[in-house]
Amino acid sequence: MSRMMGKIRQRHIGAALAISYLLYSLVFWAYPFLWLLILSFSDWRFFSAPSFSGLSNLQLLLTNTEFWGSMWNVARFLGYYLPITFACSLAFAFGLQHLGRGKAFVALCFLLAHISSGVAYSLVFTKIFSASGPLNGFLFEWFGFKIPWLTSPSLAMLSISLIVTWKFVGYYGLILYSGLVAIPKEVYDAAKLDDTPPLTRLVRITLPMINAQLIMVLVLATVISFSIFTEPYMMTEGGPLDSTNMPLMVMYETAFLRLQPSRAALMSIIIAAASYLVIKLVRRLFERDVALT
Amino acid sequence: MINFKKKSPASWVITIIMYVLALTWLYPYVWMVMASLKPTQEIFNTSLFSGTLTLENYEFLFSSAEKLNRPFLRSLFNSFFVTLSVTVSVVITSALIAYAIAKIDFWGREKLKGFLLFQMVLPGMMLTLPMFVLIKQLGLVNSYASMILPAMMSGWGVFMISQAFKGTPDDYIYAARLDRSNIRQIVFKLMIPLNKAIVAIVALFTFTGTWDNFMWPLIVISDVDMMPLSVLLATFNKQFGFYVGPVMAGAVLQALPLVLLFIAFRRYFMQGMSLSLK
Repeated sequence: MSRMMGKIRQRHIGAALAISYLLYSLVFWAYPFLWLLILSFSDWRFFSAPSFSGLSNLQLLLTNTEFWGSMWNVARFLGYYLPITFACSLAFAFGLQHLGRGKAFVALCFLLAHISSGVAYSLVFTKIFSASGPLNGFLFEWFGFKIPWLTSPSLAMLSISLIVTWKFVGYYGLILYSGLVAIPKEVYDAAKLDDTPPLTRLVRITLPMINAQLIMVLVLATVISFSIFTEPYMMTEGGPLDSTNMPLMVMYETAFLRLQPSRAALMSIIIAAASYLVIKLVRRLFERDVALT
Repeated sequence: MINFKKKSPASWVITIIMYVLALTWLYPYVWMVMASLKPTQEIFNTSLFSGTLTLENYEFLFSSAEKLNRPFLRSLFNSFFVTLSVTVSVVITSALIAYAIAKIDFWGREKLKGFLLFQMVLPGMMLTLPMFVLIKQLGLVNSYASMILPAMMSGWGVFMISQAFKGTPDDYIYAARLDRSNIRQIVFKLMIPLNKAIVAIVALFTFTGTWDNFMWPLIVISDVDMMPLSVLLATFNKQFGFYVGPVMAGAVLQALPLVLLFIAFRRYFMQGMSLSLK
């Protein structure tokens, strides 16, 4: 009898805990969400009540070249970031696999980059990449030229993707490494019997076998490209010539500097939707169900 | 490529390259620390390990910067206070709710799980702006509450911990109940110690995420006395960027706690990174 009572009591406690989470989510998740929708279809400037304005925000946004320019910058960022980061993380993963001793030490060094604070490392790289910084000092001494890393419109985005690569290679590399060590050795022994050349082995065996990890890295990299804010905000302020202006920066400026929160709300929705769709597309295109049968 | 003997020349070459790369990866950290120890005018024209070494940048940060209306000591306290509050709150609430989800068969349990997953799929940055509207309506702009309240519970934390709690055998819980333990004792004296690794991961990731948060406090805090280190350092750099030495000392201050935390708990970090792959 008391056991029965205990069980009922347990259920009450369980339900109470669940309700506490739901109440919290109601205030700090559902309510803001509702505001996001309301704002997107109304005109509001932080004071008084929002007035319904139908699709006029959308109309304004469609012709907002700064916003679409920033979305194009996401594509430019990905154009640099994906090849560089994939090459580096794959190299890191293979290197780690063949490392006899000190795997933990090497991984530690790379992961220290991953936990660096956004503001701090942006400041440090601004100095390292500056005209008189140590990188240009090195280039000038050895090769006799300097590179305008952050001040040239055609190079600034490349520089930012290099910096973000510095931060994420350790993390992505470990993800790929976890895939590499899970490949059964027999697969390679079979390939060896067939005298498969190394490049074919890489493209036909290794890469397909770590498809899940590659997709994971691709998804993480895509998420970052849409949500990047601190680095361009600190290092280039979106310049030169808007070449590193990212969507979240435009959203931030529209809402809090130009005081147009309702337009910024619609931007948030479009950025989130675009990021969701790109990820969906990437998975549809590249995800394979790899199973050894 | 795969069957290197342990000590073939190629494997030695790879080992050496990897070590060199690993040390190269630390270069920005080393440069930051060295720059923070040099007078500003020497930072760009001395090589890495030469030049006058001094603590004047740190002294400047903690004494003179106050007169420039940039109270670094205070912001260091703000950062620690906010980050620790959020971390403690997330760990406690996540553990309790995760226990309910993993071990109590209450009505609506499956629906709650579905809701958690749905929350995790939606990009969080979408809510930044409307969250500001809420904080403004609550009259909490420029307060600690604005940085703590929106992060007190974490769907991700609940999800991670509930996955781990599921693996703990029910027999332990029955035994604890026979000893008349209440739910608080079961969660904090039994479940958390049995699942130390995962709880540590949730705590560490919440800590680093909150410490590193920049966009949110930039939006809700404009009063310099309430700013966390990340925002104060950014505004200091914007206005007094020519004080390169003190700026680098501030960067060290901002980066150091996470580096120390990472080195101290590196085992959990590594585990967390491979666990979050699922």
